[in-house]
Amino acid sequence: MAITSTSPSFMSQLCFGTIEEDLLLPYPSMGEAEQETMRGVISSLESLLKPKEKDFREWDAKGELPPAFIEELKGMGLFSLVIPEAFGGMGLSATAYSRTLQEIAKYDASVAVTVGAHSSIGMRGLLLFGTDEQKQRWLPKLATGEMIAAFCLTEPGAGSDAASIKSTAVRDGNDWLLTGNKLWITNGGIADFFTVFAKTGGQADRGNITAFVVTKDLPGVSIGPHEDKMGIRASSTTTVHFDNVRVPAANVLGEVGKGFKVAMKILNSGRGGLGGGAVGGMKKIIALATKQAKERVQFGKPIADFGLIKQKLGHMVVDCYATESAVNVLNHFVDAGHQDYAVEAAITKVFGSEALWRTVDEGLQIAAGNGFMREFPYERTLRDARINRIYEGTNDILRLFIALTAMNEVGSQLKELGDSLKGLFDNPIKGFGVLSDYARRRASLVTTYVKRDKATFTKLHPALSKQQVVFEELTRDLATAVDRVLRKHGKNIIGKQFASRRLADIMIELFVLACTLSRVSTAVANKGAAQVTKELEIAEVLTGRVRRRVRRHMSMIDDNDDELIKSLADHALDAERYSWDNV
Amino acid sequence: MPLKILVTAKRVEDSESKIRANPAGTGIVLEGLKYKMNPFDEIGVEEALRLVAKHGGEVVVASIGSKDCHEQLRQALAMGATRAIWVNHAGPIDQLGVAGCLMKICEREKPNLAILGKQSIDDDQNQVGQYLAEWLGWSQATFASKEESLDSDAEKSKTPALKLTADGAWVTVVREVDGGLETLECKLPAVVTTDLRLNQPRFSKLPDIMKAKTKPLEELTPAALGVDVTPQLTVTSMKAPPARKAGIKVPDVAALVDKLKNEAKAI
Repeated sequence: MAITSTSPSFMSQLCFGTIEEDLLLPYPSMGEAEQETMRGVISSLESLLKPKEKDFREWDAKGELPPAFIEELKGMGLFSLVIPEAFGGMGLSATAYSRTLQEIAKYDASVAVTVGAHSSIGMRGLLLFGTDEQKQRWLPKLATGEMIAAFCLTEPGAGSDAASIKSTAVRDGNDWLLTGNKLWITNGGIADFFTVFAKTGGQADRGNITAFVVTKDLPGVSIGPHEDKMGIRASSTTTVHFDNVRVPAANVLGEVGKGFKVAMKILNSGRGGLGGGAVGGMKKIIALATKQAKERVQFGKPIADFGLIKQKLGHMVVDCYATESAVNVLNHFVDAGHQDYAVEAAITKVFGSEALWRTVDEGLQIAAGNGFMREFPYERTLRDARINRIYEGTNDILRLFIALTAMNEVGSQLKELGDSLKGLFDNPIKGFGVLSDYARRRASLVTTYVKRDKATFTKLHPALSKQQVVFEELTRDLATAVDRVLRKHGKNIIGKQFASRRLADIMIELFVLACTLSRVSTAVANKGAAQVTKELEIAEVLTGRVRRRVRRHMSMIDDNDDELIKSLADHALDAERYSWDNV
Repeated sequence: MPLKILVTAKRVEDSESKIRANPAGTGIVLEGLKYKMNPFDEIGVEEALRLVAKHGGEVVVASIGSKDCHEQLRQALAMGATRAIWVNHAGPIDQLGVAGCLMKICEREKPNLAILGKQSIDDDQNQVGQYLAEWLGWSQATFASKEESLDSDAEKSKTPALKLTADGAWVTVVREVDGGLETLECKLPAVVTTDLRLNQPRFSKLPDIMKAKTKPLEELTPAALGVDVTPQLTVTSMKAPPARKAGIKVPDVAALVDKLKNEAKAI
C-alpha cells in the first residue's frame, strides 16, 4: 500500500499500539537516474568546497562569508535546489535536497546554513503557498541567487512562542503598512527577499497573523549588523527592521490571518534539510576521528586499539546510521505526498541534532588536545553543531509538540468515550459501539489474548526477528503508557511537561528504531545477510539501546523525583543563585 | 571554421578509495570503491571546451564500458560537451581494443582533433593515444602542456593552451619533455594527449548537471563498430607492493655514509 495524502501519521498510530509498517517498508531509495544526478552533484560540490578548508577556518574567525564566495555559490546553482525546473531551478526532491545539504555540511556548516535558510525556510512559503503569479515573479530570481531569501518570524519577545509576535500590518487601501523588528534572521545581511510574519488583527488578536513577502527594495526595510555568534559564524545573522513599510496586498502569502499555519508548515517541511545537515556533520567527524585514532600513538600503540576509543567510534556510527535512516524516511514521506508527518519531522530534528552533538563531542574527545585546538576542525564543528538544538524550534518545545500531537488522537478517542458514556442512555446502541471498539483496543494492550490489527510487523526480514519482538513489546508499552498518562492527567497533560517529555523520548527512540529496522531489513532483502553483517550489528546495538532507554523512561512515569526537582528549581529561582557555598 | 573535437571520459577508480588486490590475485577488490572520470581525460574535456568556446564547433565525448560509465559521460556533458557516445562493453578490454573502438568512432565522426588523457590513472598504460594516431595516420602530440602556470592570467581567463593557426589547418602544442618544453606544430586532424599542467578543469554547475540529463547519448557496441576487443593482454597476477620496512636512526653522518656504502650499496 503506497503512501498517499491521507496516510496516517506513523507515530499517532503507534500511540494506539498500531504499527503502520507500510509507511516504512520497503525502505525508500532514490531512483537510478536521481542517484546518477546526485553523484554528479556530490562530485561538483567536492570540487568547489574541498579545496576551501583553510578559507572556511578563516571565514569562521572573521565571522563572514566573503561576497565573492557567495557569488560562487550562486554561480554553482546552489540557490536553485528546490525551485521547480519550470522556474529555472533544479527541482530536487526532498530526498535529493537533503542529501545535497548533507554534502555541503561535510565541508562547512556556515555554507550549509546559508543555502539551507534560503531553500528550507526563506522562500519555502512562496513554494508552498504562493500563487502562480507570485511564483512567476520571484522564483526565477531566487533560483539564480539574484535574490537570496530569509525567514523572519522571531522577535525580541517572541521565540518559541511565535504567536506572541508584535510586528503588525495594518491595511491601507490596496496595501499593508508593516512595522516591526525581527531578530536572529539567518541570511539577514545578504537577503533581498523576506518572508515576514506580522499581526493583522491588532495586538490583542493573538492568533491573527499573516505572512508577507517583503523585498529589500521597499522603503523602510533596514538591516542590523552581523551578530557575533558561537557557531555557524560565517553565515549571516542580523536583525531586520520594518518601519512603516508599504507592502502591496499582492505580496500576502496564503490567506490573511492564516499566517501561523503558514509558519508552522514552512518549519515542518524544513526539517528534512536540517536532518541532512546533521548527517553530513556526523560523517565528517567520523572520517576525521577514525584517521586521528589510527595516527595518534600512546603507550606504544595507536589509540584506535583502545576499548574506550572504539566504544566512542562504535556509538558514533550507530548514531549516524540511525539519523540517516530517519531523515531518509522523513524525506520520502514528503516526496510521496504524505501530509501528516509533523511529529516524525520533529522527531528527526530532535534526534538528529542531539546525535550530531554527541558525535561531534565524542569525536573531539578522541582528538583530545588536538580537538581543542583551532588548527583542527573539531572545535569549529562542535560550535557549529550547537545551534541545531536551538533553532527551527528548540528541542524542548519540540519534545512537548511530539508528545502532545502524537497523543492527540488517543486523547480524542478517550474523550469520545467519555462523551458516549454520558449519552449512553440516550443512544445505547451508538454508545455501545464506541465503548466496545475502545474496550477492545484497551484490552489488547494488557493481554496478548485479544488480537489487534497491525500490532506486529509482518514484512520485516526474518534476520531481524529478535529486534522485531523488542520493537513490538516496546510499542505495546508506549500505547499502555499513553493511555495511562492520559487517564491520569486528562486535559492537564498540557501542563505536565515532565510526563510529556518522557513520552516524547520514548516516541523518539521508537521512531528512529523503526526507520533503522526498515533500512536494515530492506538491505538484507536486497543484498543477503552475508553482505550486510555490519548493518545487522547496528540494528542489534540500536535495539538494545532503545530497549534500555525506553524501559527506563517507562519506569519513571510513576517512580520519579519530578516534584523534588521542581522544588529545587523553585528554590534556586527564588534565591537566583546556588545556596550552599562552603566559604 | 567550426571545430569538431572528440574527447574521452574513462571511468576509473578514485585514487582516494582504498585500492587492494583481491585474495585470488586476479584484480582489485571492487567493493566500496568510488569512481570518477580519469583526471587526464577531464583536462582533455576542459581543453576541448575552451577551444570550442574560442573557435566554435562541438565537443563529442566517448567512453567504453558498462552502463556505469554514463556517470562520466554525463559529467562531461554537464561540463559542456555537446553529445556523448557510449560503447557498451562490460568485459575486460585492453589498449588495443580501446584504440580500435576510438579509431572507428573517429572514422565515423571525422573530428579535427581527438584529445585524450595521456594515460588513465587505473593501469597507467599511456598507449591509446599513440595507437590511435598511428592507425588513423594522423599527426600526434603527446603530453600537451603549456608555458604559462596554472596561476597565470591566461589560465584564469580560460584561454586554450592549444593554438590553431589562422587557416585552421595546424595546431601548436607545447609538450612536456625531460628537462623542458618542446613546441610541435601538427597538421590537423591530430591526436593530442594531455598532461597534468595543461589546464585546471572546471566543475559543473548544478543546473548544468540537470541539463546534461537530456543531452543526446548514443549507444554503440564494439561489434557494431566492427572491432574485436578480445584482450591480447592478460593479468596473470596482482598483488600489493610489499610493506615498507621500518626505518632506522643512525647516530651520526659517518654511520650513515657507512651504511649507504656497505649495506645499501647506494654510494
